[in-house]
Amino acid sequence: MPHNRLSLAAVFAAIVLTVSACGGAGNSGGGGGSGNAGTPGSTTGFDGTTIKLGVLSPLSGAVAVIGQPLTAGNKVWFDHLNSTGGVAGKYKVELVQEDTQYKPDVTVQQYNKVKGSVVAFTQILGTAPTLAVLPQLRADKILAAPASLDALWVREDNLLPIGGPYQVQAINAVDHYLTDGGGSKDNKICTMIQDDVYGEAGQSGIDFAAKSYGFTVANTQKFKQGTENYAGQIQALAGAGCQMVFLVATPSDAGKIFGTAAQGRYAPKWYAQSPSYAGALAKSAVAPYMQASVLIISEGTEWGDSAVPGMTDMVARATKFAPSQQPDYYFSFGYNQGRAMTAVLEKAVSMGDLSRDGILNASKQLGTVTFDGLTGDYTYGAGADRKPPRSSTLFAIDPAKPFGLKTV
Amino acid sequence: MAKPHRNLTRAYAQDLRLFGSPLAKAGLAAMILVLLMLPMVVQDDFWLSVLIYVGITAVGAIGLNLLTGYCGQISLGHAFFIGAGAYCTAIVGGDLGLPLPLWLLAAAAVGAVLGGLIGPFALRLRGNYLAIVTLGLIFVGEHLWRNLKSVTGGNSGTSVNAAATIGPFDFGKVELAGEVYSRNQGYFWLVWALVALIALLAKNLVRTRPGRALQAVRDRDQAAEVIGVRAGRYKIGAFMVSSAIASVAGALFGSYQQFVSPDEWNLLLSIQYIAIVIVGGLGTIFGSILGAIFVGALPALIDRYSDAIPGVQTSVGGEGFISVFALNQAIFGVLIVLFLVLEPRGLAGIWLRVKTYFKAWPFSY
Amino acid sequence: MNAFLQNCFAGLALGSTYALVALGFVVIYKSTGVINFAQGGLLALGAYLGYTFSNNLAVAFGVAILLACLTAAVVGAGFERIVLRRMVGQPPFAVIMITIGLLFIIEPIVTAIWGFENLQVTNPWNIRTVELGGLVFGVRDLWTIGITAAVVVAFFLFFRYSGFGLAMRATAFDPEAALAQGISAKKVYAVSWAIAAALAALAGVTLAAGPGGLSPSIGFIALAAFPAMILGGMDSPAGAVLGGVVIGLAEALTRGYQDQLFSWAGDNVSIIVPYLLMIVILLIRPYGLLGTRDVRRI
Repeated sequence: MPHNRLSLAAVFAAIVLTVSACGGAGNSGGGGGSGNAGTPGSTTGFDGTTIKLGVLSPLSGAVAVIGQPLTAGNKVWFDHLNSTGGVAGKYKVELVQEDTQYKPDVTVQQYNKVKGSVVAFTQILGTAPTLAVLPQLRADKILAAPASLDALWVREDNLLPIGGPYQVQAINAVDHYLTDGGGSKDNKICTMIQDDVYGEAGQSGIDFAAKSYGFTVANTQKFKQGTENYAGQIQALAGAGCQMVFLVATPSDAGKIFGTAAQGRYAPKWYAQSPSYAGALAKSAVAPYMQASVLIISEGTEWGDSAVPGMTDMVARATKFAPSQQPDYYFSFGYNQGRAMTAVLEKAVSMGDLSRDGILNASKQLGTVTFDGLTGDYTYGAGADRKPPRSSTLFAIDPAKPFGLKTV
Repeated sequence: MAKPHRNLTRAYAQDLRLFGSPLAKAGLAAMILVLLMLPMVVQDDFWLSVLIYVGITAVGAIGLNLLTGYCGQISLGHAFFIGAGAYCTAIVGGDLGLPLPLWLLAAAAVGAVLGGLIGPFALRLRGNYLAIVTLGLIFVGEHLWRNLKSVTGGNSGTSVNAAATIGPFDFGKVELAGEVYSRNQGYFWLVWALVALIALLAKNLVRTRPGRALQAVRDRDQAAEVIGVRAGRYKIGAFMVSSAIASVAGALFGSYQQFVSPDEWNLLLSIQYIAIVIVGGLGTIFGSILGAIFVGALPALIDRYSDAIPGVQTSVGGEGFISVFALNQAIFGVLIVLFLVLEPRGLAGIWLRVKTYFKAWPFSY
Repeated sequence: MNAFLQNCFAGLALGSTYALVALGFVVIYKSTGVINFAQGGLLALGAYLGYTFSNNLAVAFGVAILLACLTAAVVGAGFERIVLRRMVGQPPFAVIMITIGLLFIIEPIVTAIWGFENLQVTNPWNIRTVELGGLVFGVRDLWTIGITAAVVVAFFLFFRYSGFGLAMRATAFDPEAALAQGISAKKVYAVSWAIAAALAALAGVTLAAGPGGLSPSIGFIALAAFPAMILGGMDSPAGAVLGGVVIGLAEALTRGYQDQLFSWAGDNVSIIVPYLLMIVILLIRPYGLLGTRDVRRI
């Protein structure tokens, strides 16, 4: 009917006019950023007074036992920094925390959610999650500090690692076993690793050690993170007669693994990589077994060790800003991350540029950062020039100590 | 000559028409307008990405509604086909670098083949048994994804570099009339255009002969056989079509997120799709989209405004006792229970009731 | 030979847990025709309740188990009363989804109250072992097998010889005829849910007392009890027990010989062995080993 067609056409015309008037398209760009040296201009994540840093950590789920204290460490460092004025004494820092549940896909989603409102990421926890986000970090030119010690991160311009890599930990563990640990090249050395990139990092360290020291890895058992029943893997290790086993796991899995081994009366010398331990294990039913057979390889020193200046400061600040925080070496890791990221931010502020490119440039010109003895000094720079620390500390389980670890 | 009343249908074709009444036509125009204009008006990355995920979920939900709502086959294995589509895209679009139409079609083909393999189970099993077998399918699928490391990257996952290009036109970097559009804006158009296309295809399927056959199989498959509907053929066909659509959803998902891992294709995902289909309305195409919007947007809203909800712990050392994820899960469970108890016909049922009320207005009593 | 026997024992222990959960499934299915997907959630809830009773309230472990089972039974019956009562007459699909909804509600409640960390239930078994003839038997495993056997026997006696057991069997067979005899179907449904929840809680607490400790993912073991139920026959309690034991043995043996025999099938094939067995049985004998053949009228 012409009547209807006309009105319809009129409606369409009106719409078309509105459309052309609307316009509005294009990116919400993050331009600007450069100001004068010492007073950078506003940019993504920085509004002139507050700097926002992203945190992608498992705050719930099985790995929250690492994520929570680590994030608390980040927070206490920045709380202390803010109490003294902030970065370069002027700019306060705010943390934007997102829960990743240690899942790589969720980490990618949360990254996309917050990347538009932060200057850089001061924590991305997990080897697999960091690897998942890395291509986008490169594309978006954002800097992130991974809470993971894979050697891959050392040569990445977009990542700001701290601490000695897992591979170095593995090599140092084998070194100890062959010298002070009472082992020899003829003993059966095996590995039990989480079945993803995190496990492969430790495995590659052991493989390197095997080549250098001239032994072969007798057996390798893999498991998916979160498995309930480890009887099969323990049986296989026992059946192969393994006398030393290098374990790469997360705390709840490690507890189950040790429990299964204890119940199966299998007691090799366990060397467990640092993320395999949590304070609760020292108070659990497997603690006696762990005291007898398990050594944890990590970095830094015992909680509360007053011989190390950085430790006294950290404990004081923890008591002040997070009084309910229990002793925890993940806390000190997060604390150290805060220190490294602050060094980058201060360099960027002094160069007057807090944009993405500015932060990357600052990280390349950083030089050596010391951590007051809490972890080894790190020489930063462009990826190819970085020198990570290469020393590790061995801990044995001692329920009497704070966090249950004593240095060997 | 007086016009017949708008509700009087005088021909079968008129009955089948999709957008018959002027109101429906205006609605269609409005929807097209929203599709075109929304990314230009809403430029916020967060909301655009929520809508993109909702759109991808809507595609998957349409597939599941075809299988469960129209054909009555309970399938808990939807996540398996979505995962298959994502990995197919990783290979065809990413490694081989082929353009968008090719990797979409490849994903659909892979989905159809897999659906054809699983379909015969439906011939032998029904109801509860089929549900449990498809449950087993998810676990077998998970085992495959974790072990075919060359394809899926194992437990660590794999990045998907499939570019959404058709010839020189790239949805990731759209440039129109001098304006540069962000990746999210381009993908919004791609995803929702596909939603419209697939909804149209599915609607055409269900309002014609195959659709009636599917519904006959759903209601009484042995009786359907008696009147000449080959139940086996349609059951397998339903599986194939639904799996193909699910794989297309997976392909879009992989291409958008640029990273997929085996953790994602789990029982929870399948159950989410079933919940979407129930909340939206079993046996309706429109309901799938409504359900996807409702169930997809709710977690995002909770996530965004979690600071305002009392009792939710959003940061370390913050107050609250329940994490955002746990809250989402609890609300999800409550939603399922509430909808099933109070409104079994779902959101589409509510919509139809409202529409019917106004059809006879002001004499609706 | 030792390794084989050791694996068989482990399979028996695992199978007992599956048998308990599958028995719960079957009780509910037999009396109400519903598949209860929330069994895993009830298992987790029971385990955490046992933890609370044993650790926080410092009750003796045996009493803690009883209390946990009772509380879980109340929860199960309550759910049946409040929610499922309204779903009478709805298609089975809808009811399955409601039980899934229940599962989704229980899990976050558990993590909200008890957190995500690995908890240790105070119990007399822990990781103690008993050695006999070259084989090492975990004390927890021995107790699990023993308790399961006792419960199964009690269960059968109850159904065979007690009045209410007879009433439940009658309602399962033909609800209308039972109603005509004066048997209250409502009471039967509530009691069957209570029994199933109690069985799940029992399985949960005994599982939590093992070396693995207690974490929110403990409920997932119930998913592997589905194949046990299907294998035995969805309406046969004896079948549930048989199915549970068979699946447990199959899983443990596959796990024990993973390296030697099954490395071609990928890592940790034992996780999907129950489902593969289930698929095989469904293709050959869809109603399970001991189930009744399904007769349908049009």
